[in-house]
Amino acid sequence: MKHLSYTFMIFCMTAGAAQAECYADYKAKQDDPLRLHYGVTEVRDDCSIQSAEDQLRPALQRDGWQLLNVLGVFDDAGLEERRESAGDYFLRY
Amino acid sequence: MMPGWKKEGKVLVTTSSATEAREIGNKIVVAGIAAIVLILAIAAVLLFINLPDANAFNMRVERLFVENDTLTGNAEIKLLEILAQSGTAFSDTLSSYRFVIFVLLVFATALLIAAVAFLVMLVALNRRMGKIERQGIEVNSLIISRDQKAVYLNNFEFKLTEAAIETLSVLAEARMDDEVLSGAEIEGVISGRNSTDCEEAAGATRIKRLRDTLGNQMVSELLVKNIARKGYMLAIDKDVIRMV
Repeated sequence: MKHLSYTFMIFCMTAGAAQAECYADYKAKQDDPLRLHYGVTEVRDDCSIQSAEDQLRPALQRDGWQLLNVLGVFDDAGLEERRESAGDYFLRY
Repeated sequence: MMPGWKKEGKVLVTTSSATEAREIGNKIVVAGIAAIVLILAIAAVLLFINLPDANAFNMRVERLFVENDTLTGNAEIKLLEILAQSGTAFSDTLSSYRFVIFVLLVFATALLIAAVAFLVMLVALNRRMGKIERQGIEVNSLIISRDQKAVYLNNFEFKLTEAAIETLSVLAEARMDDEVLSGAEIEGVISGRNSTDCEEAAGATRIKRLRDTLGNQMVSELLVKNIARKGYMLAIDKDVIRMV
């Protein structure tokens, strides 16, 4: 029983980790006056540009931002090098 | 006598063709002014269409941002934003230019229309001057002064007899009512009797007297001048005299 719950816990962790390991970087803008930002977000659904776009668009819209494009998806390895560029918008949306 | 008649005929012909020409001229003027307005309106529309709109700079900057994947640094993004802002400031200037250009276009339209109108007026005036020169005397004003026993034709003053003044007044009143009076009617009005009781010849005599006195004075004023204690002279330019 204990062994079973342990394996379940590991499964849960790995599943969670597998999901959390997908990130996307994107560009967004605001009009009048023109403001731009580059940000990094965590993709919750399957790891694709399409799902990143679907997830980002409404989230950005709430704060008055308009999604321009998603540059690509990546995993943990690419996260740190983008932290500085994204600045305030690192994992904000 | 004959050359004189021919001349008069010629004058009549030119007069009628002049009025025709004026009608055509009027049409040309209207068409010209319409063309000016149309051309300038098209120019204004093209101008407004072709001037870049206020968002052009922002769109360029946005495209730049999207197309270059490496433009992700904070400083770079700030720089792009500043670029867009300066562009927007410049587009404000552009819109003020646009207004200035529009005002200038309106001025240009007004001036061109005025120029055309003045040109046409000049042509019409020239034509009229020529007509007047050829026609000799054209009566622009006729003032009858009963107490001074005088009639003023334009600026010329002519002394008339009481009877001639009376005849002229009757004719003037009839002219104002667009009426034509027979000799008997003239006599009737002046003498105060019924015109059926008056003779045609009596009225004709009055007209003849009026013509004689007035004609005499007009010719002496305009043509055969009397210089006091010296004699007589034609009051015309010697260059216009020709013997046929």
